[in-house]
Amino acid sequence: MSELPVLALIIWGTIVGLDLASVLQGLLSRPLVAGGIAGWIIGDPVAGLTIGGTLELFALDVLPVGSARYPDYGAATVAAVALGAWQAWPSALGPSVLLGLVLGQLGGWAIVAHRRVNAKALASLAPRLDRGDPGVAARLHLLGLSSDLARSATLAVLGLGAVGLLLRLPPVALATGHVLTLIVVAGGFVALVGGALRRAGTARRMLWLAGGLGLGLLSLGLR
Amino acid sequence: MRIGRLRALIRLLSLQASYTYERLQGVGIAVAQEPLLEPLGKDSERARAARARSAQYFNAHPFLAGIAVGALSRAELDGEEGNRILRLRAALSGPLGALGDQLFWAGIVPALMGLALVAAAHGRGLEAVLGVVIGYNVCRILVTGWGLRLGLTHGLGVAHEIAQSRLREITTGAGALAAFVIGGAIPWIALWLLQGAGQSRLFMVGLVAGSVGLGVLTRRRPLSAPALTLGAAAVTLVWRWGSP
Repeated sequence: MSELPVLALIIWGTIVGLDLASVLQGLLSRPLVAGGIAGWIIGDPVAGLTIGGTLELFALDVLPVGSARYPDYGAATVAAVALGAWQAWPSALGPSVLLGLVLGQLGGWAIVAHRRVNAKALASLAPRLDRGDPGVAARLHLLGLSSDLARSATLAVLGLGAVGLLLRLPPVALATGHVLTLIVVAGGFVALVGGALRRAGTARRMLWLAGGLGLGLLSLGLR
Repeated sequence: MRIGRLRALIRLLSLQASYTYERLQGVGIAVAQEPLLEPLGKDSERARAARARSAQYFNAHPFLAGIAVGALSRAELDGEEGNRILRLRAALSGPLGALGDQLFWAGIVPALMGLALVAAAHGRGLEAVLGVVIGYNVCRILVTGWGLRLGLTHGLGVAHEIAQSRLREITTGAGALAAFVIGGAIPWIALWLLQGAGQSRLFMVGLVAGSVGLGVLTRRRPLSAPALTLGAAAVTLVWRWGSP
């Protein structure tokens, strides 16, 4: 990797980390989007979309509801794409997605840590906040924004650091890479299908799901 | 008021930056309400009481929280009794969360990502990604702005207006659409990822059928797919350690 993509990838990784919960929530942190753009930055959009697309299957099983802990796949996908770019993807997809899954869990813990930092600041300013002092809420909010910026940038740097280390190791044997690719795709399908079934919930939506599957199979058969 | 509304809308885009497990979105709501409460002055008794109330516990879907920000601010500006405002705050929290989660997280987002995955499988991934991101963000800002306007117009009566709106119908439709799109996307994604990895159609059918079976069997006690994948990969790496 040249110096420019590394800097651009850190900036992109930070942006997608912020997008997850703190700013906008405008789909930038979705693995397919984060991966597609990371691939474009590196110059290998196909790898970006393939790796991001596989991680997206896992992300589709996640409902970022309320105070639940959920993985942060944004910066994780950026690092995964950096690892898998410019390689034959049937063997590179597995190791890249596995790195993305590990970093995604790390990102999930980082979100909890960020919320605890927010809570600590809130505890110290709560009496003033509850008196209605002007500017206290804005101060807490800015602190939350800047600590999430730091969290996202740290995850992006850690992810790319891990890529740097992994690229120095001897590559995974080709046959092992193939097996790992099948494992991540199978795992992705378990997540995708399991998530779709749980989200569907009602019998009526199950019918919509089955109808879509039927139409998808039909269109594939007619291709 | 127009400028105040715009400032509130911009602040609503970062609603969850100060999220905590104690007050959830409470501080973010206070920050978004601040420009709307400016007519009350900075240091008056009323302004202080309104600011204190605005930072209490609150949780809703972030895109629909504008409804609460608008309604609570309108109630404060109209001089409604503090307890009534706090009751409205509590009453809006759950329904706006459930409605928004169903509409966006379980409806629009999976539907759009399913479409983008199918486009990626057809070699049109980047165009689809850009289209989806732009379209979604325009929709997200319009919805938040609509909610803010609705709340500011109706104040304490906003719950009735939500019940009268088409939000529930749209939410039901979005869930069905998501199920349909994801169902339709499954074969195409399988073809894209597995044929690209050199696997036969028979293998693909087996994998999809196996995933559906596992998904049905574990519907009530869901498996952690990342943990399952990482576990299987760890076993594979140990098993094939040193293989050529």
